[in-house]
Amino acid sequence: MTQAILHRIASGDGDAVQDCLKKYGGLVWSIARKMLRNPEEAEDAVQEIFVDIWKNAARFDEAKSSETTFIAMIARRRLIDKIRYSTRRISADSLDDVMLEPFTRADKEMEISLEAKEAAEAMRSLRPEQQQVLRLSIIQGMSHHEISEATGMPLGTVKTHARRGILQVREFLGLERPQLFQEVRA
Amino acid sequence: MIEQNQELFYDLLTKKAVYGLDESEQIQLDDLDPGTAELEFRSLEITAAAISLIGVATDEQMPAHLQAKIAADANRYLGAVSPENETSSSPARGRVIQSDEIFRDAPARPWFGWLGWAAAAAACIALAVNIWFTRIPTIEQVKTPPKIETPQILTPAKMREDLLRSTASVIKATWAAGNVKELKAVSGDVVWSDEKQSGYMRFRGLPVNDIAKETYQLWIFDKTQDKATPIDGGTFDVSADGEVVIPINAKLKAQGPEMFAITVEKPGGVVVSKREKIAAIAKVETAAG
Repeated sequence: MTQAILHRIASGDGDAVQDCLKKYGGLVWSIARKMLRNPEEAEDAVQEIFVDIWKNAARFDEAKSSETTFIAMIARRRLIDKIRYSTRRISADSLDDVMLEPFTRADKEMEISLEAKEAAEAMRSLRPEQQQVLRLSIIQGMSHHEISEATGMPLGTVKTHARRGILQVREFLGLERPQLFQEVRA
Repeated sequence: MIEQNQELFYDLLTKKAVYGLDESEQIQLDDLDPGTAELEFRSLEITAAAISLIGVATDEQMPAHLQAKIAADANRYLGAVSPENETSSSPARGRVIQSDEIFRDAPARPWFGWLGWAAAAAACIALAVNIWFTRIPTIEQVKTPPKIETPQILTPAKMREDLLRSTASVIKATWAAGNVKELKAVSGDVVWSDEKQSGYMRFRGLPVNDIAKETYQLWIFDKTQDKATPIDGGTFDVSADGEVVIPINAKLKAQGPEMFAITVEKPGGVVVSKREKIAAIAKVETAAG
């Protein structure tokens, strides 16, 4: 079995940095562009994300998630931080694009990881409004307030869709058991 | 926990996982915490990360200049870490990520530290040997800084050359202008190997695109696909004038491509192209030399 790139980085394989950039550079760039929508901000964020990745490579545990999901999680933390502490807001023009973006682009064998494929399957099982709320919040980085304003849904409804939707996806992915995430102590 | 509190608990956890909480919300969550909030949060955060991967273009490229900058950062960051920072706090395999620790300064990576220390040790040995033999230590003899290799960036142009030099059978096609008036000056070629399932597009005259508004998308017409449903060859951006080489990463196995087409699409690409703006077309002619 091929050793995870992050383990290779953590264990001192000098080629692993390039392999990581080659394999995940586009992924991180793509997630950042979708969430920030400002290329300059996205570039800054991607640089910071990779520093976070180097710092946290040793913490990756393939028993808990795929490497791709772990990288996405690190990326999202930095991006959420950027969004929350910046004045970034999606403009009215780009919001139209966001609302119209097809969500079924990546079907068949196009998903980037098994978890993404399963997540896509789980999303398809949700109600359309739940899908929309999760898509706008998780993929586009919009706050519940922004979603409420953009869609006309009451804030409480947005929250409910988000909560029920993500819990359902979590269950579908088999991640609903908190004990799975308990620290393994030596 | 009463039902109403449970809803609030999961509302807050969901918000934390998808958008983060402000201070007052975090305090509210802490007050509600039945002891499982952190574990629940971790699983929701991974769920959100998995959802964020849906529809991500598997072959989207980050700009070359950004990749170079990050590689340099990596060298600087990882190279600057000293062995003292590599403490016993390094997590053992099997330990899960801690939500509050992910952005703490993490343990050092050993190899760059080793390189530094090994180089320093080597320099000390060299100095000692020098003293032993000459009894006259000179600064010059230990002045040469240790050589630390900079990670090499394997550029698409170099990878293209490697593909052409390989023993794999490679087909080649030349780009011709499509139906966009402003893009009549596009030239270059595309090479592809069925065997390696990899290939490269080389362009001259393909303008830098405004990534906030549009992107280029490759379509591969091969023998196994209906002409109406070509293989999505992914999106790419052009960030510099002059010759650019873009790797192809077909999303489905391409066998015997007969034609390649580049369309201009909205950011992120499309599932079905209206083919309104075709930037370039390349019909396969020969095996590449």
